[in-house]
Amino acid sequence: MEKPLPRITGVDRPFWEAADSGRLMVQRCQSSECGRHILYPRVCCPYCGGGDLSWEEASGRGHIRSYTFVHRPQHESFYDEAPLCFVAVALEEGPLLYGEVRPRPAEAEQLLDRRVKVVFLEHAAGRKLPYFELEPIS
Amino acid sequence: MQEGYEGVYVVGVGQTAYEKRTTKTLHRILWEALAEAVHSARLSWQQIDGLGVTSFALPPDNVTTLAEHFGIEARWLFQGLYGGASGIINMLHGARAIQAGDAKVVACLTADVFDVASHNEMLDRFNGPLRDYLSPYAFGGANGVFALHTRLYMEEHGATREDFGRLAVAQRKNAQHNPNALFRGKTLSMEEYLNARQIADPLRLFDCVHPCAGGDCIILAHESIARDLGVPLVKILGGGEMHNYPANDVYSLRGGWEAFRDRMYGQAKCGPQDLHFAQLYDDYPVMEFIQLEGMGICERGKVAEFLRETDVTVHGGFPINTGGGQLSAGQAGASGGMIGVVEGVLQLRGEAAERQVACERGVVAGYGLVAYGRGLSSSAAILAKA
Repeated sequence: MEKPLPRITGVDRPFWEAADSGRLMVQRCQSSECGRHILYPRVCCPYCGGGDLSWEEASGRGHIRSYTFVHRPQHESFYDEAPLCFVAVALEEGPLLYGEVRPRPAEAEQLLDRRVKVVFLEHAAGRKLPYFELEPIS
Repeated sequence: MQEGYEGVYVVGVGQTAYEKRTTKTLHRILWEALAEAVHSARLSWQQIDGLGVTSFALPPDNVTTLAEHFGIEARWLFQGLYGGASGIINMLHGARAIQAGDAKVVACLTADVFDVASHNEMLDRFNGPLRDYLSPYAFGGANGVFALHTRLYMEEHGATREDFGRLAVAQRKNAQHNPNALFRGKTLSMEEYLNARQIADPLRLFDCVHPCAGGDCIILAHESIARDLGVPLVKILGGGEMHNYPANDVYSLRGGWEAFRDRMYGQAKCGPQDLHFAQLYDDYPVMEFIQLEGMGICERGKVAEFLRETDVTVHGGFPINTGGGQLSAGQAGASGGMIGVVEGVLQLRGEAAERQVACERGVVAGYGLVAYGRGLSSSAAILAKA
């Protein structure tokens, strides 16, 4: 069974096209009073309402804000791989990005605040998505 | 216009049995809930001139085509777009319409027909951000989203699985007295709660609602009609709604209730200490914790302590979700946003039979529209015997 795919629109095409070539692009508000980084991609800045946004390559580094080991995925295509480690990651630039940790850590491992870096893995034929791998504990 | 909801009463209430499987269509369930509410209000079908509906499974139909299906000539229509916050918002907007003279009798109706598979399918395409940035992963649906909040809540406030379990176990006891509840006849012990199968850790089976089929309805009427009906009347003392609060802050473990609670209690001329029950939106126990904090019933971070000291069953000092809530009655989709209102109205009418609690007033709360990692809409109202 095929995995669910994002529906790519005019707003977020740069995000997904960059993902396919292994780069993490995020939007940034161009207002001099704001300058915040933004995910998920939008038509305006949700902090100041400004419509002048650019795309910038992000560091791909961040920390795990929260996580869960999903034993009962919402879609049949994941059943064989469960449990999978689903995470919300706060990127160094600020915004949140969701994904799975690969390779999957042990369930007993404490992952809150763990440093991660983004990796781009093939999710379906011809489509890469951002995933995360744990950084070594320094 | 008045600050509160004076001049408007809840005059009718209806609910179908909640069922895991049904041969009934959605429209039939909607009709059954509405017909029971109309009957309980001693109104005639023709007196309804306002209709609100919230139902995820209703498209391609909508409230306008539903009015036509039911033969209702409506001066005022509402369709809830706020997920599980919609039931209460429907009631509050309907009361404002009656105060303004735009309608005299407003039916607030919710129903859905779901099972686990169709619920997940619906959530996968619930909105753009969820569909495009969470659903491509094994995020676990709503269970996964609220597992993230539950883990953070446990970490930040020292709550344990057992603390969440106290709500699940108490509500299951309450459901044993509710003939419409899905899990009537199935008891739940703390051991069973703690050792249930893993869903999305730290959530296990009994932290999660069971998608099902069912419908709920209340009817509002202007005082000029309500007073002559000869039925028990319920007042809306105060209420509020808040959306996208706090903005741009997914993991604050807060919701919109704190933004409107002072106004709500001001309208009601009472405080959280004057409430006799709470009907909370219990998609997950952690959200009940956050509502108890947000509405000032417990201090932030003190809910676990409150639950260790307080019996929240119908026999206890502060009953919560007296009909079992969604966790033990089932989640009939968007009816999850009305089940607490219906239960609160039944309690205040004195019609809750073996689960009746002594009460003059209580609070009902709603929550919904899960998008990029959290529910966006919060609502609540204080209801009282008239």
